Amino acid sequence: MGFDFNSLLAFIIFGITIGVVYGIVALGISLIYSGLDIVHFAHGEMYMFGAFFGLVLVHDAGFPYPIALVGAMVLTALLGMFVERVFYRRLTRAGGGYTVAGMGMIICGFGMSVALVNVAYFIWGAEAEPFRANLDYIPRLEFGDGIQVPESYVLTAIISVVLMLALNYFLRYTKIGLAVRAVAHNKEIAYLMGINVPLMISLIFGLACARAAAAGVLIGPMQSVQVEMGYLMLMKAFAAAVVGGFGSLPGAIVGGIMVGIFENLGAAYISPSHKDIYAFLLLILVLSIRPSGLFGIEAKVKA
Amino acid sequence: MLQVNKVEAGYGKLKILRGVTMTVPQGEIVTLLGGNGTGKSTMLKAVSGLIPVMSGNIIFDGVDISTMKPHERMRLGLVQVTQSKEAYPAMTVEENLMLGAYTRSDRASIAADLEKVYGFFPVLKERRKQLSATLSGGEVQMLVIGRGLMAGPKMLMLDEPSAAIAPKVVLEIFSNINKIAKSGVTILVVEQNVRMALILANYGYIIRDGVIMMEGKADSLISDPAVKESFLGGSVADTSKKLQSG
Repeated sequence: MGFDFNSLLAFIIFGITIGVVYGIVALGISLIYSGLDIVHFAHGEMYMFGAFFGLVLVHDAGFPYPIALVGAMVLTALLGMFVERVFYRRLTRAGGGYTVAGMGMIICGFGMSVALVNVAYFIWGAEAEPFRANLDYIPRLEFGDGIQVPESYVLTAIISVVLMLALNYFLRYTKIGLAVRAVAHNKEIAYLMGINVPLMISLIFGLACARAAAAGVLIGPMQSVQVEMGYLMLMKAFAAAVVGGFGSLPGAIVGGIMVGIFENLGAAYISPSHKDIYAFLLLILVLSIRPSGLFGIEAKVKA
Repeated sequence: MLQVNKVEAGYGKLKILRGVTMTVPQGEIVTLLGGNGTGKSTMLKAVSGLIPVMSGNIIFDGVDISTMKPHERMRLGLVQVTQSKEAYPAMTVEENLMLGAYTRSDRASIAADLEKVYGFFPVLKERRKQLSATLSGGEVQMLVIGRGLMAGPKMLMLDEPSAAIAPKVVLEIFSNINKIAKSGVTILVVEQNVRMALILANYGYIIRDGVIMMEGKADSLISDPAVKESFLGGSVADTSKKLQSG
């Protein structure tokens, strides 16, 4: 059997679409890390809750898909802000400011992850639910010799790119974005600039969780929605964030896309049953060459 | 303008300031002097609100600010300029300056103040699109002072503006601080460079182990034998001349 460039192209295109989704989840993880110095282990659950919120809004409330997407982002942002305000802030405050008080934060993140999964079990049960969304108005794309990209993939790619650009615009060109970057770099000076630091921290958390929710709603129609879905996404997104350089926002995106492509190629040409391993092979490979990740810099330049 | 009454403050249970009382009158330059670990920076943090006051109170412009949050104090016009290493390296010079004006919304007066800052420190205008990580130590110090000015302060508190900067640049920065004071901003400057600070200031306090050891008019402190012996060596006359002419 000769080598088929057409299918290679297809695998790469699908890899990129799934990769940008890893990218936006990783973006949230990096944003929280660079802003709050928290490695957020419950971020996968934000993704899962986002997917369920989207599902409920479409199936039960009957909203059209785009509105459900926005609704799920808002609800998850509120959930994330609630979790940060009520639980995490107690720990971060123990350091006198908003820095991490050692191991406690990591354990708290894991605990939150388990707690949120069980809350979700309680509400939605253990069964995987299919996410039926009407996407007929979105065109299918065709590449080369009849490679068809389904609607949900096209939509995913578009929305992810829009979310990334919006975040970039927000951080670079708005006054609040400037304040967020200031808080990320040094909370003490940000305070002295008259910035309401606690409010900005809530905002960072909300933005990051909204991005995870968007990923959940976008992935929903491709796979099914179930309570345990957060764990694997968290691992992939972490791999993406670390490959890109932890805390670097462009790094998170590039890392996500690399993980997506690598995973799809591995599944296609090595073995599909080990699909979830390839992300970590890539991780080991990148870290052995560049220990701080692709965009990681020795002196951490944040956000 | 600022009155600090018997303030005790510190970190956690550790008390650094043990009842400090000092006054900064409107329109004057007051300096707080002392070596490392004497409580100078703790004093600034207590005034700007980064650490809580354990006892005593702080009055600014007639308002008791002892329990206010830092950003609230800053909105009253009490602005702390941090040490020079604390600019935002990944932001451009102009972004850093605009961050100083974060609490203000009047674009016209912000733009006017930006020009004023560029007037004080022309080098910042030259470098306004550069990342502040690329600036020299002296330039970063100018940047953080400029950033403080962008807040439109009634009073500016400076934390060791001469630290780790070449002597020639120190002179330039101090003469600009003098100009800023003449433009109507009250100034409290914390320094280890006792000679420069006393030449600049009207009044001085010397702190040791969290209490005020000595205070007085700057020119009388300069000639005080005890101060001379512990902090100063040699003549102050020519430095003074340079500062006034610069």
